[in-house]
Amino acid sequence: MQTDPVGLMVRLLGSCELRARVVSANIANSNTPGYVRQVVRFEDLLREELQDGGDAVAVLPELAPDLETPSRPDGNNVSLELELNAMRENRLLYEAYSSILRSHFSLLESAISEGR
Amino acid sequence: MDGNNGFFTGMRICASGLTAERERMDVIAENLANARTTRTPDGGPYRRKIVLFEPILAEVEGEERAQGVKATHVGVDRVTDFERVLDPGHPDAGPDGMVVYPNVNTVMEMADLITAMRAYEANLTAQENFVRMAERALDLLR
Repeated sequence: MQTDPVGLMVRLLGSCELRARVVSANIANSNTPGYVRQVVRFEDLLREELQDGGDAVAVLPELAPDLETPSRPDGNNVSLELELNAMRENRLLYEAYSSILRSHFSLLESAISEGR
Repeated sequence: MDGNNGFFTGMRICASGLTAERERMDVIAENLANARTTRTPDGGPYRRKIVLFEPILAEVEGEERAQGVKATHVGVDRVTDFERVLDPGHPDAGPDGMVVYPNVNTVMEMADLITAMRAYEANLTAQENFVRMAERALDLLR
């Protein structure tokens, strides 16, 4: 099944942007009593869908609370180290996706201008 | 400008974190400065102040999400006991010779201060992250 490459890259970039906002909300609430850390899933949902032979177009990013990480006495389960690491990973993914998209566009551009 | 999505929203979330932690640090500084204040204008020793944090909730795509944090108000710690020291010579000693000191535990305040500073720096790093991502997105337009 053919997947529109540009559409997929744009959605990957979008899920990275969403993840960045969610990680920031976690960091901002690292000392808020009772706050439960939130996570964004997209890449692994995509992988599952493609492994089952499905269509990547149908997959959307998912926002979910992290109920597994244990909470501190005040009910908060945000770890700054974890969040900062998630942020760095996310940044690298964003760089990778935007690089792929950029080279896709320059490929199109040179095809249009017939290599002039 | 961009609803509840985009880089500016992200930067505002971080800014709220910076503001809240800053307010917390201000209150900690006041507690530390008044750790030995036995006499206040309303009478009695200084009472430890605490800041209450709550997430800022906004509706995004039909569901309620945390979009930052707010120091909702500064409260007074009425749970922790005052410290009582026998010192009949002290000007603020009671008829029993006891002086009542504030319910401020300096070590705990310092630990809270360090936590607040780390969170402040993390918020700053996260904000810088948005600037970098936005720059990368602008590169796509070139």
